[in-house]
Amino acid sequence: MKLSELFDKSEFVVTGEVGPVKGAIPRDKDYVPPCMAEALHLEKKVHAINVTDNQSAVMKLGSMAASVKLKQNGFEPIYQITCRDRNRIALQSEILTAFSLGVDNMLLLTGDHTNLGDHIEAKPVFDLDSVQLVKIAADLQKGKDMVGNDLLNAPDFFIGAVVNPNFQPLDLQLIKMKKKIEAGAQFFQTQAVYEDSVIDQFVAKTELFDCPVQLGVVVLKNPAMGKYMNNYISGISVPQKWINEIGSVDKADRKKKSAEMMGRFIRKHKDKFQGVHIMPLGWTDIVPDILEYAEINVNGGIK
Amino acid sequence: MHATIQKPVEEIVKHIKPGEKVFVVGCNNCAWKCHSGGEDETKAMSERLEKRGIEISGYTVPGPQGMSLCKLDHTTKVLKTEYDEQLKNTDSFLVLGCGQGVHTVIDATDGGMVHPGCDTIFGGETVSESEINEYCSLCGECIIEFTGGLCPLTLCAKSLLNGPCGGAENGKCEVDADRNCGWIMIYDRLMKLGRLDLIESYQKPKNHAKWSRPRSLKVSHHKASFSSMAGTVTVSNID
Ligand code: SF4
Ligand code: SF4
Repeated sequence: MKLSELFDKSEFVVTGEVGPVKGAIPRDKDYVPPCMAEALHLEKKVHAINVTDNQSAVMKLGSMAASVKLKQNGFEPIYQITCRDRNRIALQSEILTAFSLGVDNMLLLTGDHTNLGDHIEAKPVFDLDSVQLVKIAADLQKGKDMVGNDLLNAPDFFIGAVVNPNFQPLDLQLIKMKKKIEAGAQFFQTQAVYEDSVIDQFVAKTELFDCPVQLGVVVLKNPAMGKYMNNYISGISVPQKWINEIGSVDKADRKKKSAEMMGRFIRKHKDKFQGVHIMPLGWTDIVPDILEYAEINVNGGIK
Repeated sequence: MHATIQKPVEEIVKHIKPGEKVFVVGCNNCAWKCHSGGEDETKAMSERLEKRGIEISGYTVPGPQGMSLCKLDHTTKVLKTEYDEQLKNTDSFLVLGCGQGVHTVIDATDGGMVHPGCDTIFGGETVSESEINEYCSLCGECIIEFTGGLCPLTLCAKSLLNGPCGGAENGKCEVDADRNCGWIMIYDRLMKLGRLDLIESYQKPKNHAKWSRPRSLKVSHHKASFSSMAGTVTVSNID
């Protein structure tokens, strides 16, 4: 199901996120891969689940395989694909393949630089940028590849893109967001935001863009993670008061505390967005609690 | 200019066989500016190699200061006329210059054996006697008209053409906190120039066929022809 069906009905769209494993899936039919185990916590709690693409440039199982596996098990995947590891031929081909294997929603990103990952000597590709990729994805849906050749059967999927409200100067980030919309982006997920003022500035400037936006949140697990994100994760900043609050309880109570903090934040801002995208980084088990604190009920959701 | 940096001498030595007689060639233009292969460094390299037991048949940096090693006719003339005797007693050439210079020595010596003595690192602007920075990646089709002259292919770590990724923090690139985000530099410059409109429109993907290698240029007084996998483009220089 394309998420457009929900946005069009003005439903508040809730999505989660899982990352494929570093490794392969064995032949054993009873084996449940970790990303599937994580997804099971989200059953009936979210509308769709993002599947990351070699996130942070760390080499893993492909997002396509995991997306298809989720789909086969009744979940709605949002297949993430980045420009970092593929040239224009591979990108177009993967989009066609993903659609053909049942993927209805794709999130098209630039991708973190290879330098941030575990293969720093790799050749970063970046043959296309994310605006070009969005445009080319939209062209594929019109039955043409990027050089104008006809396709036998055009794919039909919902095109997502990302935007970082933390970016300074924000106006520069928004020039790019506008270009993505003009190129064919149909919804946005934001980078993780933790500050009220960042949200308010972003919302004030994008209100008239006429494109659904999901607020992105990354589940803060402990103070060390907050500091780590501030130091090493580009484009995210975690205010000290968040770090203090998650540090105010014992380790055993962190999941509960985190659910409360994330839920409170989402509740406060949910009316300004058309959905929320929760990135639990493995703590998918607390997503139901987060949504409860946020007073969000996805109405049965997708499986 | 082509920026170069010398390879560690121990690495150079590793590739020279016992008894091999080496002639050291420097470059009086770019490598001189980079202190990787000017007069001083070329002489010093000969001495450093001798100290490590390598037989040096001679050394030279062709031409006056400012003369490029990669100018084939000049390098050929110098090597063949001034160093004819030494060359007869030479097994290989250690070139202190860029990769183009290495090839020039091959051509100038009718296919002589060469050792690259430098890593060729980029094409750059000599901003001072002690600093050379990269502002162009030699892509074959210049698109900096729309960025106020700052090259996003070079100054942005991801070579993005339609604006920044989300990764910059405090004006710095996500890849390296010591390096400015190329897109913020472009934005600031266009803001000052009152030309932010330039980056508002869609930029199509780069034509990588013009960046294919090897490429060549044929020139005369009135026209130039650039050949790449994108084909041959000829332009008039006079009208
Ligand atoms: S666009 Fe190409 S030619 Fe122009 S400055 Fe950048 S790399 Fe050099
Ligand atoms: S932070 Fe800036 S320079 Fe670095 S990759 Fe992103 S847009 Fe390019």
